[in-house]
Amino acid sequence: MPKRKLDPLPSAAFQIILALSIEDLHGYAIMRQVEEQTGGRVRLGPGTLYSSIQTLLEEKLIQEVGLSEDTPSERRRYYRLTSAGRKVARSEADRMADVLRVARARKIFRGDYV
Amino acid sequence: MSEKLYTLLLRLYPAAFRREYGDAALQLFRDRLHDERGFLPRLRLWLDLLVDLGLSIPPEYRRAPSTLVPAPLQAKSGLPSFNLLESELPRPGTFLFGTIFALASLGVLGFVLNHPGETNLFRRSSSQTPARSSASPTSAPQLSKDAGAQSSGSTPAHPDQQSSVPPPATSVAQQAQELDNKERHLVIDAVITNLTQHYIDPDATKKISGLLSTHEKNGDYNPITSSSAFAGLLSKQLQDAAQDPHLMVIYSRQPIPNRLPGPPPGALDQYRAAMEQQNCTFERIEILPHNIGYLKLNSFPDPGLCRATAVAAMERLNHAGAIIFDLRDNRGGYPEMVSLIASYLFDHPVYMFNPREGVTAQSWTQSPVPGNTLAHKPVYVLTSAATISAAEQFSYNLKMLRRATLVGETTQGGAHAGVFHRIDDHFAVASPEVRPVNPYGKADWEGTGVEPDVKLKEADALQAAMKLAEKTQH
Repeated sequence: MPKRKLDPLPSAAFQIILALSIEDLHGYAIMRQVEEQTGGRVRLGPGTLYSSIQTLLEEKLIQEVGLSEDTPSERRRYYRLTSAGRKVARSEADRMADVLRVARARKIFRGDYV
Repeated sequence: MSEKLYTLLLRLYPAAFRREYGDAALQLFRDRLHDERGFLPRLRLWLDLLVDLGLSIPPEYRRAPSTLVPAPLQAKSGLPSFNLLESELPRPGTFLFGTIFALASLGVLGFVLNHPGETNLFRRSSSQTPARSSASPTSAPQLSKDAGAQSSGSTPAHPDQQSSVPPPATSVAQQAQELDNKERHLVIDAVITNLTQHYIDPDATKKISGLLSTHEKNGDYNPITSSSAFAGLLSKQLQDAAQDPHLMVIYSRQPIPNRLPGPPPGALDQYRAAMEQQNCTFERIEILPHNIGYLKLNSFPDPGLCRATAVAAMERLNHAGAIIFDLRDNRGGYPEMVSLIASYLFDHPVYMFNPREGVTAQSWTQSPVPGNTLAHKPVYVLTSAATISAAEQFSYNLKMLRRATLVGETTQGGAHAGVFHRIDDHFAVASPEVRPVNPYGKADWEGTGVEPDVKLKEADALQAAMKLAEKTQH
């Protein structure tokens, strides 16, 4: 049942997909990228990060792209977004846009914010 | 340090996760550690980690059922099949821990089973036997003193023995040790040789020698593999044959040293402490109704330590109209203390016969005692079947001198004190070596005890003595 695990898509998994949408990254870089794109609000711990990566790998939304050659002692696994992953990200963003539209219609936001 | 801690925390995750991502997680932790320095960032890092652990561990374990390993082949063949939740074997550490735990448990159980005499429960029950209690502090000076007094060619008692010289009944409680025919023969041989050399009664020695040899030939001792039980049985046979309760074969778990000069330092301190704690075994000193003085004395302690206590006790009773000495729980002690207390009961020096040793200056009372008014007051001595040794000396002499009325039971009958002779590392034999002449021309209390004047159960002795004393007051 591939759909069930990531449906709904957990926020951590979505953030990882978004982070990988720019370039291939290793675990720590993903964590830093997520931190940056959420304005420091989300810092993924190792457990959550790799647990999510494992699930995303199982669902084939991301894939491993070999080890880096940075330093021989610290060889890191890099991850890349698959096309399936990109599709899931788009549909999740659409879903969120729908939610956003409703929220805006209900005058949840103050002023002309967003 | 932090890294080690996090490595430990990582072990909380399922093995499959650790195998796959353990290193990566640790690497990430290292990176953050490297980048986030200072107190607050570190604090935030650890908070993050704790939250992360709490949030991510349960899902990882929920993931585990998806790795169910079915066994379809076996199911098809009609054999029972099992679904495994975890395909991996327990870790080697688990087996190691299990093995060590099982061995340790077995070891403890084995030790406890082999040391029944070590448990408090057992010890308490054995000290309640009516036989002379080996734990009583009073037996120590008795033995050490006699051993010292008759030093010619004899081996003084071992320190451990002095405090734990087992009367036959309690020696069984000591740890049993395997015994073979060779050891048994050695002990029997040595006992006979020792008695032939040292024991005062050659007829009894002959009798014992024949008895033990016969028993050995008949193989009567063969079933006994416990050293303490063997010592107990031999003691009983010696005592029965010679009618002398001071004849003993002793088994000591601690090796008995070849020669021990003087009393051991520890034993004297122990005795001193025990005497201080127990008021020198002067358990009760009081004036009963009708001005009857009552002294419950549980031993005749060393005058070197307890003279002041004894003098104070006798002075406190100085104006009593009659005195009751309660010796029902008295297990003996120092002949000098017997003479010291008896001094208050006479107006001139009196000889206190002691079958354990010849005549010395201490054999006489130091009467009259200045200021003392007890020399002609009625005296009653309470006895029981457990009253023994120096307590019997006190009772016997006062009875023979017609100075006291004995009320209670016939005493135990332990006239002599044995001198210890080492047989080997664990066995020794105790036998008396002197028998002074009895001035009363009669047999002493050896084997028979001292007969009371008023014979009744020890529990009734005090009431009876009080009634007798009361009559003399009117």
